[in-house]
Amino acid sequence: MFKKLIEKGIEKSPWLLHINTGSCNGCDIELVSVITPRYDAERMGFKLAGTPRHADIVVVSGPITSQSKERLVRTLAQVPDPKVVVSIGSCPRSCNVFHGSYSVEGPLDRYCDVDVSIAGCPPKPEAIIDGLAKAVEILKTKRRGK
Amino acid sequence: MTNHLPIIAIQVLFLGAFISGLVGYKSNSLRKFVIFLATGTSLVLTLMLFKPVMMEGQIISYWMGNWVPVSDWAIGIGLEVDQLSLFFGLIVTVTVFLGAIYSFKYMSKDNGQDKYYVVFMMLAGSVLGFVFTGDLFNMYVMIEIMTFAAVGLTAFRNHKAESIEAAFKYLVVGSIGSSLILLGTVVMYAQFKTLNLAQITALLNNAQHTPVILFAFALMIGGYAVKAFIVPCHVVAPDAYAAAPSSVSMLFSGIVNKAGIYGMIRLVFVVFASMNLPSMQFLLVFLGTITMFIGVTMALAQSDFKRLLAFHSISQIGYVLTAIGLSTILGLTGGLYHALNHTLFKGLLFLCAGAVLYSTGTTDLNKLGGLAKKMPQTAGLFLVGAFAISGIPPFNGFVSKWLVYQGTFAKSMETNNPGYVFVTIVALIVSVMTLASFIKVTQSVFFGQLPKEFENAEEVPLSMRIPMWILAALCLVAGILPTAVIDYLIKPAVLAIKSAGNYVAVMMGQEYATKIYTEGIAIPKYDYAMAGWNPTSWLILFGVLLIAFALVALTGGFNPRHIVGAENNNAKFDVFFSGEAAEHSHVAGNDLFWGLKHNLKGYFHFMHDVHNGVVNDYALMVVSTTALVMLYLFLLVK
Amino acid sequence: MNNILQFLFYILIFPGFAFCVVAGLLIAGIDRKLVARMQKRIGPPILQPTYDFLKLLGKETIIPRHAARKVYLAAPVVGLLSLVTVSLFIPIFNFSIFDKPVADLIVIIYLLTIPGVALIIGGSASGSPYAGVGISREMVAILSYELPLVIVLLTIGRKVGMALDGNITFSLKAIVDYQAQYGPMIAQWSMIPAAIALLLVIPCKVGSLPFDIAEAEIEICEGPLVEYSGPPLGIFKLNHAIKMFIMTSLFVTLFLSGAGTNFVALNVLIQFALAVVVTFISISVLKAITARLRVEQTFKFYWTYPTALALLSLVLVWLGL
Repeated sequence: MFKKLIEKGIEKSPWLLHINTGSCNGCDIELVSVITPRYDAERMGFKLAGTPRHADIVVVSGPITSQSKERLVRTLAQVPDPKVVVSIGSCPRSCNVFHGSYSVEGPLDRYCDVDVSIAGCPPKPEAIIDGLAKAVEILKTKRRGK
Repeated sequence: MTNHLPIIAIQVLFLGAFISGLVGYKSNSLRKFVIFLATGTSLVLTLMLFKPVMMEGQIISYWMGNWVPVSDWAIGIGLEVDQLSLFFGLIVTVTVFLGAIYSFKYMSKDNGQDKYYVVFMMLAGSVLGFVFTGDLFNMYVMIEIMTFAAVGLTAFRNHKAESIEAAFKYLVVGSIGSSLILLGTVVMYAQFKTLNLAQITALLNNAQHTPVILFAFALMIGGYAVKAFIVPCHVVAPDAYAAAPSSVSMLFSGIVNKAGIYGMIRLVFVVFASMNLPSMQFLLVFLGTITMFIGVTMALAQSDFKRLLAFHSISQIGYVLTAIGLSTILGLTGGLYHALNHTLFKGLLFLCAGAVLYSTGTTDLNKLGGLAKKMPQTAGLFLVGAFAISGIPPFNGFVSKWLVYQGTFAKSMETNNPGYVFVTIVALIVSVMTLASFIKVTQSVFFGQLPKEFENAEEVPLSMRIPMWILAALCLVAGILPTAVIDYLIKPAVLAIKSAGNYVAVMMGQEYATKIYTEGIAIPKYDYAMAGWNPTSWLILFGVLLIAFALVALTGGFNPRHIVGAENNNAKFDVFFSGEAAEHSHVAGNDLFWGLKHNLKGYFHFMHDVHNGVVNDYALMVVSTTALVMLYLFLLVK
Repeated sequence: MNNILQFLFYILIFPGFAFCVVAGLLIAGIDRKLVARMQKRIGPPILQPTYDFLKLLGKETIIPRHAARKVYLAAPVVGLLSLVTVSLFIPIFNFSIFDKPVADLIVIIYLLTIPGVALIIGGSASGSPYAGVGISREMVAILSYELPLVIVLLTIGRKVGMALDGNITFSLKAIVDYQAQYGPMIAQWSMIPAAIALLLVIPCKVGSLPFDIAEAEIEICEGPLVEYSGPPLGIFKLNHAIKMFIMTSLFVTLFLSGAGTNFVALNVLIQFALAVVVTFISISVLKAITARLRVEQTFKFYWTYPTALALLSLVLVWLGL
């Protein structure tokens, strides 16, 4: 019964941590628009957290520049379990137009397992919400698997 | 037999000083044994007085060399231990005993220890003599020994420039204070041809308050204000507290300024019997209120551990003076209770500061940090002391501050004077500011990040921890059993303050007293009500809940499977620093309270200018304070 | 035996632990919903704080390497504990667990500082520099609001004391009795400035928006809470919710109380409803329409306007109005 309650809580209250690894800010703005009155992701319990210790879902945007690589890995390690990593946009998937640059060390899946990958440059807010909803499902299975 | 106890208790301390000076240079352990024996004996002798004086209500008088009064004139030197004296005497002996034990290990890194203990014991003996004596000139002699012993101890670590500087300031200002007291004593002697306190009390009872007497009175108030470090005569105190070894700082806040407070109480309440005048009440409450406010705001701006504690000492003495100045039963109870509590928690805090100094070699708040991992016991004990001084239940500061608030507020209802409500508000705000400044110390000394140079810091030795544990336990006891403390310690002392007639009767004989107090010796009533306050019921409640939750927390009730030990090299257990590698980025004490300092910068700049370190200015402040008090007495006290 | 059981019931169920948790989480949820509606959002469900709390119970607890472990774990519990203790002291109309007047305003002032202190101690025990900045802000915030709060409470003590026996009272029960006799405190026009001052103090006390400088999640990563995760964080969030209920409930007891009805359950419902109204006025509206202040602005604000209002009330009461 207690387990069920906690599962319900996990389903209803996923907190996001947003890490920008050198993105052009397009995806970041789309992510912010998700919590505006028009889309209002808070009605599903989504909330932007300020620190990795509070996060359940880590949202990564950008092509992982060499400056941000170390910081990304360290911050990802600091998120308590269970956690889900979501990539937003094409950059963390394939480095997009930055592919081949001397200062880009992406894609993201070199450094961690990516659970949900939302495509688009930038993806629409609807797509982001859809992806986050999938991430919540994965979060639940991760919790159950433990 | 009981009659001889006070004089033996004093002599033992002085003898300890000389014997340790004689034999001490030969062997370290012999000296420690002598000191331990002397302070211990003195403590036991004072405790033996507890039953006859506090519980049976005797007042013990002792004429040195059996020079008893002849035809109603006291010629010899007399000791008189009433409940008030014994109350302060107990504070003195307990503090000295614990301070001596602490010194054994704490001073082991210094040289010249034989001299240290001689002066230490002189200080102890003089304060005990001061509170036990019944002679005005003897009071002066004792406080003079105390001042010079204190100056010597301040300058003890004379390889540091600041010790010499602090000692010089203390010497100058302290001497001015002593001179004021001496001049007052001389004038009194010229007026009454006697130096016996009881006889002066009796003669003053029927005498007119002539300008000469007022003059002497004002001089003595000024002198004891310097000894008690009351604003604006406090300026030398922070330097002296900070420069002296911590075991001595503990004595400074525990007994040296208590001696000033005792002198003040003895004079204004018993000898001059002046506290039923509203103008005198106003004077003390006013001085007390500015003392507590200026003390605490200056403490907020400090960046040295011991200087900060010194300013808190000043502020807490302000509480004591305010409460005493109310001169109601409630106020006196609160004031004496707070004096006792101040000795306990401030002693504890100074010993903690000493422990930090012992382990790390510095008390600079901007350099320290993260010591809780290395010195867990000291950190815990410091938290106890910090909570006690901030008045957080269930520690002792809460009870006495409560009495002060209630006393001031009740006084305002009684006299219909809104000024006293202002005092209550200031007292409450000062309490919050005290809390704030101790949070700052906690953050910048014990929590936060550990600087590289203190990686090898260790917990202090057991003999230093024992006095700290005892003081912490006393803090808790005095907080949980307030009724017992009040019944056995405070109540007799308050009654003694209120019954000058008894004081005279014991010393000078019943016949003499009836001659003076023609309408009979008034027996004061002791009735106070802690307005609807039932401490035990909710303290038990708090305690039960605390224990329950602490057990849950400490046995790992928070999901124990998921609490894993911190592995090295795993970034997971680094402090989150926006993804940067963990580097040393401790938030130092100086950087806290920016918002407060920014808004009150006018006030802080002014205060900074006042505490300018120029001894001439300090001397001027003391003298002009005395002049103002004198003016006030001449104009307003009738 | 019966007494002990009754006492345990008071502590654990009503008006202690369980009641506080339920009421606090509900009121926090209602607040979030209200703010969302004012911003034309649908908003989270009213049970959202409950879900957050449950989720945090299921998360991993990470203790940073430099943290002072025991203090770090005990701090949230101590905060929760003192809040539960406060709740025992607040009478709900004519219901109070103490027969004699024991509940005291000054005890409550002290107990209400303890959650703030626990937050500060816990934050500083975590060893994070962000927490260091956060606690300095929290400390200045406490210094700011404590002055008007103290004056308001003394004013009420004076007002009630004068009417009862010409003596001082700090007893909440006496205050409720007074209101039962003379009508709610807010109806006295000399007390209106004090009521406004207390309404302005509540947002800072519970750390909501214009004054949430200590836990600013954008600038300093939630300040003292930066390193907390899992159940300890959950307890801190719970403390936050309970504090919201207790502060508003205290306002109701001080200013809006009265004789009430004969049914305890109905009284509790009325108290809760009034607490929601107070939450709406003093927390939700401010949260929806303002942005975060800086720490020195907060300090300046509290030592001027609310203090002046509270002093005005004190003077009026002193003049016998």
